[in-house]
Amino acid sequence: MRVLVVEDEQDLREQVASALTDAGYTVDQAPDGEEGGFLGDTEPYDAVVLDLGLPKVDGISVLSQWRKDGRDMPVLILTARDNWTEKVGGFDAGADDYLTKPFHMEELLARVRALIRRTAGHATSTLTCGPVEFDTKMGKVTFDGEAVTLTAHELKVLSYFMHHQGHVISQSELIEHVYDQDFDRDSNTIEVFIARLRKKLAPELIQTHRGRGYSFGTPEA
Amino acid sequence: MRNILGRRSVSLRLIVLSLAWIVAALAVGGWVLASHFENHVERSFDAELERNIGDALAYVEIVNGRVSMPQRPANPAYNRPLSGWYWQLSVDGGAVERSRSLWDQVLDDVREPGAGQINAYNAKGPRGEDLRVVVKTFQLSNFGQPVSIAYTGPLHVISRASHEFSEALAASLLVLGLGLLVAVVLQVVWGLKPLGMVRQKLARIHAGEIDKMDGDFPSEVEPLVNDLNSLLDHNAQVIERARTHTGNLAHALKTPLAVLGNEADKLETDSQRIVREQVQSMNELVKRHLARARAAGGLAAPGQAVDLSEVLAPLQRTLVRIYQSKNEGAGITISLSDTDGFRLLGEREDLDEMFGNLLDNACKWAASRVEVSAERDGHQVLIRICDDGPGIPDADTDTVLQRGKRLDEATPGSGLGLAIVLELAELYHGSLTLRRADLGGLEARLRLPAQ
Repeated sequence: MRVLVVEDEQDLREQVASALTDAGYTVDQAPDGEEGGFLGDTEPYDAVVLDLGLPKVDGISVLSQWRKDGRDMPVLILTARDNWTEKVGGFDAGADDYLTKPFHMEELLARVRALIRRTAGHATSTLTCGPVEFDTKMGKVTFDGEAVTLTAHELKVLSYFMHHQGHVISQSELIEHVYDQDFDRDSNTIEVFIARLRKKLAPELIQTHRGRGYSFGTPEA
Repeated sequence: MRNILGRRSVSLRLIVLSLAWIVAALAVGGWVLASHFENHVERSFDAELERNIGDALAYVEIVNGRVSMPQRPANPAYNRPLSGWYWQLSVDGGAVERSRSLWDQVLDDVREPGAGQINAYNAKGPRGEDLRVVVKTFQLSNFGQPVSIAYTGPLHVISRASHEFSEALAASLLVLGLGLLVAVVLQVVWGLKPLGMVRQKLARIHAGEIDKMDGDFPSEVEPLVNDLNSLLDHNAQVIERARTHTGNLAHALKTPLAVLGNEADKLETDSQRIVREQVQSMNELVKRHLARARAAGGLAAPGQAVDLSEVLAPLQRTLVRIYQSKNEGAGITISLSDTDGFRLLGEREDLDEMFGNLLDNACKWAASRVEVSAERDGHQVLIRICDDGPGIPDADTDTVLQRGKRLDEATPGSGLGLAIVLELAELYHGSLTLRRADLGGLEARLRLPAQ
């Protein structure tokens, strides 16, 4: 799951980014509206944490532009402006959630988690696929009730699969959602992660669709 | 009337000044007229007496070197004894002939002028009565000594005439004065009417019905109205600036507070708790004073009114989205009934804040629905916001409205929401009360001034 954090205050941006990274997300950072807007336009994010008072281009304009361009990733507005007029303005511009500063980091993580889950169409925080259970809150995976130990990257790949069960996912889509923008993308590493996941869980859970990509769980009809 | 008769009233000043001027002008005018008239009466009286002197001169004869008057002027007035109408012919100061009316008396105060001249003066008569006397001295051609003829008339004829004139004059001047006074009052009232209009408009601005003075004013008042309008504009700008500054400051503080709080979470438990608490209380201070500054500013920029449904509809839309995953994913239903057609006095953002907080609170506690209704209540609009949540015991309603007090410490929120609404409502001369709703939860009753 790849998340974009657009915030001009460096300390806060890094706090949020590191908390999200610790929670298993791949995080990109942008210090102003211009760069944030560009990244959101060009990279496939699973969620965006967006400040409103940004240099160059303000957050509301960035958000409106994304929505106008058909970018529909869930956006969490993180702002100091907590009056209702601005909240209404934020939601009307296309925000999916609104968190005001100062905030508890757990609250932010919970909101981001819920946003991603809701967008993928899951109502609960624990995703299930056959014998596999993925607790999004704790980042724990069990197979037939047994805890499975996964590396950070394996977990990221599995998380993306669990959120998009049954869909055929191309290798490049997986790469885009698992690695941040600066990573030197090598498709071989993805194949390595898939092989390890098949080994740690069950080989039949991940199907290979030649020339198209992979799917997880019940195949697409 | 109080404002017309007030001590500092311009009307009163104008009226008093005009009145003083009218009284002075009429008094001086009356005095001048009366003295002119008296003068005139005196002169015609003198002229008549002088004419009589001329007539009498024709009767004067010189017989044997003596001046005599064998025949007398026939004017009957001069025959009535001691009537004040007298004549006397004197030679060298001695009376030669007298009118019958003098009876046995002599005019002893005859001030003879030089030959050919006339002397007119007031004197006492034989009985002490006031007389008007005209004396003329002649130098007859065949007589060596100057001959003088004096004619008198009673002075009261003159004074009575001028007295009667003065009375009539005074009466007509009084009528004139009263007429002028009425005219002055009318003029002042009519002339100052635009000022009254300005006052009324100001009152309406204060009441929030209008936000600037419009309409036609006389050219003398228009600059004042324009100045007032630009003052109002300036005022609004200053408030807006001050508010923006307060807002910027408050918001600028929040990001460092967020960083501090997050950093604190990495510390060991005790310091973390202390820093967290301090960050929280700083945040509450910022939030409360921000709300207060906003509201106080809102009241100082009058003349604004907002449609209730224009406030509620976007909030409804937003809150439904915020709480879409509540109630096991079914969300919260917010229904608005009878909320159309009310206009509330105040700033949009203040109203957003009040209703946003109340609706947010209702949604937070509701099981599945929130109902909003409004009704007119005198000069106010009563808005009810009810939820079907657990509600709160009646005994705790006061506690909830206290700043920062929360009955449930577990649900997220600063506990400021309802207190801020209460504070805002009071600043708007409205009120907020809480009671048990028919739906089972809490019913918040907000009263706000209507337009």
